[in-house]
Amino acid sequence: MFNINLQYIWDLLKYNPSDPLIFSTSLFLFLFLFFLVFYNLFGKNKMVRLALLIVFSLYFYYKSAGYYAGILVVSAVVNFFFAKFIASTENFTWKRIHLALAVLLNIGILGYFKYTNFIMQIIAEMNKAQFEPLSIFLPIGISFYTFKSLNYVFDVYLDNMEPTNSFRDFCVYVFFFPNLLMGPIDRASEFLPQVQKELYLSKEDLGKATLLIIAGLFKKVVIADYISLNFVDRIFDFPLRYTGIENLLAIYGYALQIYCDFSGYTDMAIGVALFLSFKLMDNFNSPFKATSIADFWRRWHISLSKWLLDYLFKPMQFSMRSLRIWANVIAIFITFVICGLWHGGAWNFIIWGALHGFMMSFSLLVQKPKQALYKLLRINDTKFLRFFQVVITFHLIAASFIIFRTNDMQVIKDMFSQIFDFFHVEVFLQFAEKLPIILGLMLLGYVLHFMPAKIENGFRKFFVALPWFIQAILLVTVIWIAAQFKSADITPFIYFQF
Amino acid sequence: MISAELKAVILKQLNLDDFNLQDDTIAPQVPGWDSLNHINIIVEVEHKFGVKFKSRELLQLKCVGDLQKLVDSKLGK
Repeated sequence: MFNINLQYIWDLLKYNPSDPLIFSTSLFLFLFLFFLVFYNLFGKNKMVRLALLIVFSLYFYYKSAGYYAGILVVSAVVNFFFAKFIASTENFTWKRIHLALAVLLNIGILGYFKYTNFIMQIIAEMNKAQFEPLSIFLPIGISFYTFKSLNYVFDVYLDNMEPTNSFRDFCVYVFFFPNLLMGPIDRASEFLPQVQKELYLSKEDLGKATLLIIAGLFKKVVIADYISLNFVDRIFDFPLRYTGIENLLAIYGYALQIYCDFSGYTDMAIGVALFLSFKLMDNFNSPFKATSIADFWRRWHISLSKWLLDYLFKPMQFSMRSLRIWANVIAIFITFVICGLWHGGAWNFIIWGALHGFMMSFSLLVQKPKQALYKLLRINDTKFLRFFQVVITFHLIAASFIIFRTNDMQVIKDMFSQIFDFFHVEVFLQFAEKLPIILGLMLLGYVLHFMPAKIENGFRKFFVALPWFIQAILLVTVIWIAAQFKSADITPFIYFQF
Repeated sequence: MISAELKAVILKQLNLDDFNLQDDTIAPQVPGWDSLNHINIIVEVEHKFGVKFKSRELLQLKCVGDLQKLVDSKLGK
């Protein structure tokens, strides 16, 4: 009996590619509480506390990636030493050579795991040959931590920060489990100074961390997982079986799902990190309130868009600056194609990125006549105009997410043909009657999303001021509700595959 | 201290009548100075002062004071 139990525990704790240690699992919750006790017990002993953090982070990644967790160690060693080489010389040619080698190594590792099959497929298609994909394991989160480590090398090259002398501190930065799998892609310049700080958690931080975990769990498990399993997936699988109104609702549903899924996870990541006394950067700011595609990218996956802006767009823009506005147009387009490719080696991601690049470039080119028209109609800077801008931007974003969701162009065609030729608005009543929870959750999700920032901040302040035991009761309640909503096994987070 | 010439170039590009540009002013504080408009300002500054910046120098700029220092260093001030 005892042996069986030990075997069970070992099976539970060992590497299992289909069961990553994501924040919304009970295993994570249990291990994290256990870890938190020790982390605080050694709160005053920085050496032990950081060692615990490094070991737990490596275990966290091992649980999802097995021995490929070694890539993390390679990433830490490569970037730590290349940054050191870059900072140690005043010779710009040497600096550039070291930077180029570091980028080559990082992108080489990422490229091998993520794009080998895609590139081989393209070559095979060009030669009209049979394509047999190689069995290459994709270590989860590799795009996130590759970009995280690279920003350190770039910032040292640009003299934005001094390289750290402590390999231990750098390992804490690269391995840090809360943002390892799905970001935020934090900046070394913001993170490393925090490693040196003493462990301190104010009452306000504790309240914020609890609220972030509550919000994240709710968004991920209650809204995203539930509407995906019980509604969105079904329509995307067979759009022709449903009317146009249902297809349209599925498009709205998917936009909400991907937002709740991804931002829910980063909310939890920021909350978990805060419990460890680390402040991570914000990653979302009500993205569907955006008034333009450019505004959307200032609000959606902020840590990635800022990374792309600083290390890809700006260098390209500056080097082509004699072309003036065309430098912006070309740099935007290339940046977004690469942004698409970052999400995965598949044509739909490239098309999705190119579409965003095209929309932003186009909007840039027509900016002046557009402004003139608004002035002529006397609607510039009015609520009326902003309302239409939000509605149009939201629909463009939601439509672009269809390409993000599916690689099958026929599905996209079918969805639009149902919406334009077989709408049947009256089916909405049946939908509301048959699937009241889905409709209710979608309404709730969007109402919460479009809530004025003032109300949101007011609620945050109210929650933080509550006594800790009431916060704890609310957290347990949401965990209970989430458990009720887990109608099936946990679906993986959409952003894991990137 | 931001020189009157530099200030004039920046304000003209941003279509602003006046703005209190200090050494530590950063682009997002100035109306219209976004990452897209930035390029027009840089090209105009290069043109007006007859200087040429390197991409790395431009990527290191944090505030208007940095731009002033960069211009001064190019002019040998």
